[in-house]
Amino acid sequence: MTTSLDQAVETIIPKSSRLSGGTVSVRGAIRSLRSSSGTLPIGLSLLAFLVLMSLVSLIWTPYPAAATGTGAFSSAPGAAHWFGTDAVGSDIFSRTISAGRTDVFYTVVAVAISLVIGSSWGAIAGFFGGWFEAVTLRLLEVVQAFPALLMALLIISVLGPGTLNVIMVVAIIPLPDFVRLARAEVLTKKTWQFAEAARLVGNRPLVVLFKHLMPNSWRPLLAYASISAAWVCGNIAALGFIGVGIQPNAVEWGSMIARGESDVVAGAWWEALFPGLGVLVLAIGCQLVGDGIAARNRGEQR
Amino acid sequence: MAVEISAPPPRSLRSLRGIAVPKFVSVIGRRVLAAMLVIWGVVTLTFLLTRVFGGDPVNLFAQPTSTAADREAIRQRLGLADPIPVQYVHYLRDVIHGNLGTSYMTFRPVTADLLNRVPATAELAVGALIFGVTAGVAVGVLSAVFEGSIFDRASRILTSAGLALPQFWVALMLIVIFFDRLHVLPGPTGRLPIGTLPPPKVTGFYLIDSIVTGHLSTFWPALRQLILPVLVLGYGVASPLARGARASMILALKADYVRSARALGLSRARTWFVYAFRNAMLPVITMFAGTVAWTFSGTVLIEGVFGWPGVGQYALSSLENSDFPAIQGFVLYASILYVIVYQLLDIAYTFADPRIRS
Repeated sequence: MTTSLDQAVETIIPKSSRLSGGTVSVRGAIRSLRSSSGTLPIGLSLLAFLVLMSLVSLIWTPYPAAATGTGAFSSAPGAAHWFGTDAVGSDIFSRTISAGRTDVFYTVVAVAISLVIGSSWGAIAGFFGGWFEAVTLRLLEVVQAFPALLMALLIISVLGPGTLNVIMVVAIIPLPDFVRLARAEVLTKKTWQFAEAARLVGNRPLVVLFKHLMPNSWRPLLAYASISAAWVCGNIAALGFIGVGIQPNAVEWGSMIARGESDVVAGAWWEALFPGLGVLVLAIGCQLVGDGIAARNRGEQR
Repeated sequence: MAVEISAPPPRSLRSLRGIAVPKFVSVIGRRVLAAMLVIWGVVTLTFLLTRVFGGDPVNLFAQPTSTAADREAIRQRLGLADPIPVQYVHYLRDVIHGNLGTSYMTFRPVTADLLNRVPATAELAVGALIFGVTAGVAVGVLSAVFEGSIFDRASRILTSAGLALPQFWVALMLIVIFFDRLHVLPGPTGRLPIGTLPPPKVTGFYLIDSIVTGHLSTFWPALRQLILPVLVLGYGVASPLARGARASMILALKADYVRSARALGLSRARTWFVYAFRNAMLPVITMFAGTVAWTFSGTVLIEGVFGWPGVGQYALSSLENSDFPAIQGFVLYASILYVIVYQLLDIAYTFADPRIRS
């Protein structure tokens, strides 16, 4: 997606300054804290709020989230239904907080899969080079020529909807970026002296890579993982909105918006507003955390 | 430091130097080759996904009462009876001839279906690009120049939100505000209000056609229909561009040549908007490539929300109907577009940046 380019620019730009060496000055550390002022704590508290909300929904919701006919159809927010009800009379507040469980969980799982597979792949490609790296780079070019959401749609249309397929598909989208990022990290660091030293004492290549190089490269990857989580949750919601998500009528933000779409155009704004806010809080939270980590990385490299 | 063990330098067409190939021919030739390789990869990947892993399209046509012989006849007619490699060769041959197969739903050639719908999407995309690029670059550059100001903070919040907001949701909310509450803009009824006839077709762009053919009464309604979708798509275009432009402009403003220019007595505005701006825009050009392709194909959800009869909506409905030739055709259209735009801008970039040229 386009937006990944922007983030890539921001995560990759500091790399030039990284070559000057890894000295950490006290003044630099203070400056980094100040420059990231707010983003990391705000992002973390947004995410904490969502997790708390999801946990609460496990033990208490005003009405059962899946129940229909808990009140009048499409009624506006009021005392009985804080966020109103939808076209089949389900309570939107109950559904919104319960849906957090689905969206947050699937986002985390998808990003984790993408991060682990993508960065190992990229690290191996960068470390060993040769035909494996060449094939990887060509393959990435092909995969990235697909607009992300289209690729998701194509794969879903072939495999069919369902939890596992949705997670797999949204995990594939950021995967090429992890491959590139990890490869670039390993490529710059494999000639540094600590890697040289690890090799000289007789470690096997894979040990050097995963025990010495990767632990020194995880922070840009982590920053990017957090930023990509913002799109992953957006894509999960988008698939739900089109109706090929986890399952039709699932308690999930995108599917909720889809269910409310026709009412919204007729004026029942609450049916889309609240689930959309859920996606928004999750996405902004992830993005702020990612920006915060990236800013901190940059700060310490100065 | 050890000598870096890296890949051998890429073999290039420059080895043709012996017969004096001009530099730009070898650069462009290599790009075209690379682009064709990528497109071949995309074709192969979509073929594999839909033909090998996809369900059996015969089920879409067969009646519950169909006999095995009927099903076999359908299979023959769809060209699915051959072994996969033969199908693949046929598919490749057809694609090269611009034949993307026949849609299972409209029973028309996919190529014709797509071409019919391209103008609608193009009108939307061009509008969104004009708005998004102008707004994005302007906001990004200004917030870099006034780094830390209230304008900078506000624009950063707005552009961060633009990256995080699901666009289909923004679209719905804007419809609620401007159509439903304020009654200032029309509802999501596609390119024209219900009951309005389109202008005679010249370019397929309603705005242009209505002027060229003298149907000025259609111009205003068509423009009003465009405002909301263009705003939503343009916001999506502007946000990453603004962030990219800001980041690269901040770097440029801190560069030594800017300080020298100021020290030599050049005015502030001149150093900012001539010297720093030109250098800062180079990375933004690269981002622009992705943006263009994304706008032309990523309109799927927006077209769905606004009832816009473009290629995105076509893709969506073919998806719902498991219309594989149509889906394949759309994906191919989108990725070829992406590759072409990307390569064109990359070539432009090569000639815009003297450091790469040399």
